[in-house]
Amino acid sequence: MIKHHPSNELLVQFSEGNLPATLSVAVAIHVEMCPVCQKQLATLEAKNANTAFEDVVNDDDICFDQLMFDNITSDESIDEVYDQPAIKVEVKGKEYTLPRALTRIGHSSFMQIGKLARSRIALDDGALRASLLHIDAGGEIPDHTHTGFELTLLLDGEFSDEDGSYVPGDFMMLDGRHNHTPKTTEGCLCFTVVSSALHFNKGISKLLNPIGNLIY
Amino acid sequence: MVSQQLQTGCKPKTGQFTAMPETPSKELANSLFAVATSRDKRAFAFLFQYFSPKIKRFGIKQFGSEAQAMELVQETLTSVWRKAHLYHPEKGAATTWVYTVMRNASFDMLRKMKSSKEECISEDIWPLIDEAEPGQHEFSDHLEDKQIKQYLDRLPQAQREVVRGVYFQDMSQEQLAEHLNIPVGTVKSRLRLALQKLRNEMGEQHD
Repeated sequence: MIKHHPSNELLVQFSEGNLPATLSVAVAIHVEMCPVCQKQLATLEAKNANTAFEDVVNDDDICFDQLMFDNITSDESIDEVYDQPAIKVEVKGKEYTLPRALTRIGHSSFMQIGKLARSRIALDDGALRASLLHIDAGGEIPDHTHTGFELTLLLDGEFSDEDGSYVPGDFMMLDGRHNHTPKTTEGCLCFTVVSSALHFNKGISKLLNPIGNLIY
Repeated sequence: MVSQQLQTGCKPKTGQFTAMPETPSKELANSLFAVATSRDKRAFAFLFQYFSPKIKRFGIKQFGSEAQAMELVQETLTSVWRKAHLYHPEKGAATTWVYTVMRNASFDMLRKMKSSKEECISEDIWPLIDEAEPGQHEFSDHLEDKQIKQYLDRLPQAQREVVRGVYFQDMSQEQLAEHLNIPVGTVKSRLRLALQKLRNEMGEQHD
């Protein structure tokens, strides 16, 4: 069962369309996997609608824009929208189906260092970078902290860290105060959003700068 | 030609405080349905009139600019006109659906301003179509759905709107009769004709 959800604040911002694109995609993927947050989102949207469309007396001051009305209705065709076929990716011989939110947003091919492989999500979002991160069976990410934040959303497989173990759909937002060492027995695929380069803490790991660059 | 708008001109401000009018939920939902099934401009005029000032107000808060607020009004109402068939009354209020359409348009506009990219990803984040119930539909069903929609487009409009209402929007024949303001018997006979015609077009394998 999913135990880790986006904070209420994050979900509110998401429902209002105010989160940056990479984080919006992350929350969308979680919501797709999590019935609890689906319900909460529907409630928030209904609430937002009431606030946004509240009647005010001044509304009557605004004239009916006939020109805009004619522009819109001059074309009677409709926009058909269809489900996109699911996209599969293969990493280290394992096949994964990507979440619906990622079916039309592009991603690069996977770059590998040891048991880690990363594919960059094609979203231009300022200092935020989103990636698909694959950790092969028996792999781990060396102990690290970060100056900004790191969001990890488990898509498939399992991993655990000092705080416990995680299942697909679990949404973990960590900031500079945390260090952690995620490990996986079976291997896993994650969606990550990172706001600045990672900092490795321990001896030999300090030599692992390339990994810092890989997973940022 | 009869004007499409329901009220002409601007109402003078009376300066009186009146009780907040109730949201005309049923009229809004009915109007979306009429726009979806019969491209009803009068119904759209009602939605247009109701939502324009509210979207504009939201846009000014969001963008701090009247020009951009008007762009949001245009973007949102164009989507309402073109995507009304994606609204399902059983999933929530019409106002909530229009809000999500507006929120999506606003998100794409903000992103365009920030990254000067034309890509619109709001519908990847907040899809306007229902996701398939897991495990209930195979992908072939979606293809079939798409095909049925193509056949539907070949039906006369009166028949198409009853098929859409009953099969795509899950309304009862009685509800539909009320929406379309026709007797239930007419709904039944139009549905029968439409189904016969669809069956002829689609061939025997769909028995």
